[in-house]
Amino acid sequence: MDVFIDQYFDLTIMRENLGLILDAFWETIQLAVIGAALALVWGLVLALIRLAPGRPAAPARALAIAYIDVMRGIPLLLVVLLISGSFPFLDFLPQWLRAPSFFGKLDIFWYGILALTLTYGAYFAEVYRAGIEAVPRGQTEASRSLGMNHRTNLRYVVVPQAVRKVIPPMLNDFIALMKDTSLIQVIGVVEVVRQGREIQAETFNSSALTLAAILFILVTIPLARIVDRQIARQQIRFQRG
Amino acid sequence: MVRLEGLSKRFGELEVLRGLDLDVRRGEVVCVIGPSGSGKSTLLRCVNLLEPAEEGRIFLEGEEITGGKHKQDYVCRRVGMVFQQFNLFPHKTALENVSLAPRKVLGRSRGEAEEKGRALLHRVGLADKIDEYPDRLSGGQQQRVAIARALAMEPRAMLFDEVTSALDPELVKEVLDAMRELADEGMTMLVVTHEMGFARDVADRVVFMDDGVIVEAGPPADVLEHPREERTSRFLGLVLEH
Repeated sequence: MDVFIDQYFDLTIMRENLGLILDAFWETIQLAVIGAALALVWGLVLALIRLAPGRPAAPARALAIAYIDVMRGIPLLLVVLLISGSFPFLDFLPQWLRAPSFFGKLDIFWYGILALTLTYGAYFAEVYRAGIEAVPRGQTEASRSLGMNHRTNLRYVVVPQAVRKVIPPMLNDFIALMKDTSLIQVIGVVEVVRQGREIQAETFNSSALTLAAILFILVTIPLARIVDRQIARQQIRFQRG
Repeated sequence: MVRLEGLSKRFGELEVLRGLDLDVRRGEVVCVIGPSGSGKSTLLRCVNLLEPAEEGRIFLEGEEITGGKHKQDYVCRRVGMVFQQFNLFPHKTALENVSLAPRKVLGRSRGEAEEKGRALLHRVGLADKIDEYPDRLSGGQQQRVAIARALAMEPRAMLFDEVTSALDPELVKEVLDAMRELADEGMTMLVVTHEMGFARDVADRVVFMDDGVIVEAGPPADVLEHPREERTSRFLGLVLEH
């Protein structure tokens, strides 16, 4: 039992490497927050294209469906490698896009963000779609009968209600995204799992990784509780009418 | 004001409206009664193009609205509708419900739309509920907000689709009273209802529909008390029993 504690909960190792782990976790947070923010926007765009009405929109709808199917069907790691391996050679792209360095972050960081956005955008799109379709038809009938067109109806009536409905599944997807940031290490980004792994190799001890795990949990559990409370409040509001 | 010519509508194999003709004059209150499945709601929903008609023509103030010349929002800006299920926007307060369409469709400023909204809510007796969300309102109150919301667009005519059918009995009167006032003020109204008392007292004309056609139409005293058709008296017999 002592050996177990030594291997996973060596406080000295944790203390000595706390700075490194925290720095790397900050990298994880940046990847997760920026990736999720962009994926949320891209996902909404995709969902709205997927739901565009009318015959002229059929090709756009088909493209959106194809995109979503493909991006949900291939591993994120594959997407990461596809981007990082070949972007530098795509000479039809401007240099600032081929090897981005916005806000002083390395190009590999932005390749990771792009991969997360493209992949999780597809997951979010399906969640948005479910939410939008779950808004009762009567709502759209009421908006239309008040003279609102498709876009106005979506913007002020349907999407606000859909977004509130989809917070729980979105949260699940966000947590998945946050965990998936660990995959970006393969192209050189030093996020928290990579950092923990390096320390593990140096020390023949897993305590740094345990510390990383603790940091993850410290973020995800409170998030879950906050959202639970939001849902409970919204639940009451949607009971009637 | 509203004229229907040969209106027909099918849902798949089912013929719901069969060549209906109806003329609603300005300021007239027409109550449509009939058994469920007779096509009453579909009729209403065709008038504001919520459902597209298969055949026939619909005219609003002389302008044809079927045939693609005008889109749905042309009609809906001129004809208001109140639904059986209220369909209030749950994420908005009563005042916001009422002022949303004037702001976003008519381009009114927030101040203007809210001032008008307050007046309308006052008119339907809900001045003290303007900042409440629908989940805090009773069914009757919600329906009155729905009426105010439709009125905020300053429609030329109003459609009422069984607006009291989903209400607890004690809440029905307040909604009917609001509708009665509207009628007294000269609003053109097409009302699908089961409330025979309302039809008798307020309607200028009662139309009995069955199986997609108008069986009988006339002043309430005639249709409700001395129906000519057997189908009409059979229906009224069932309805007026309790």
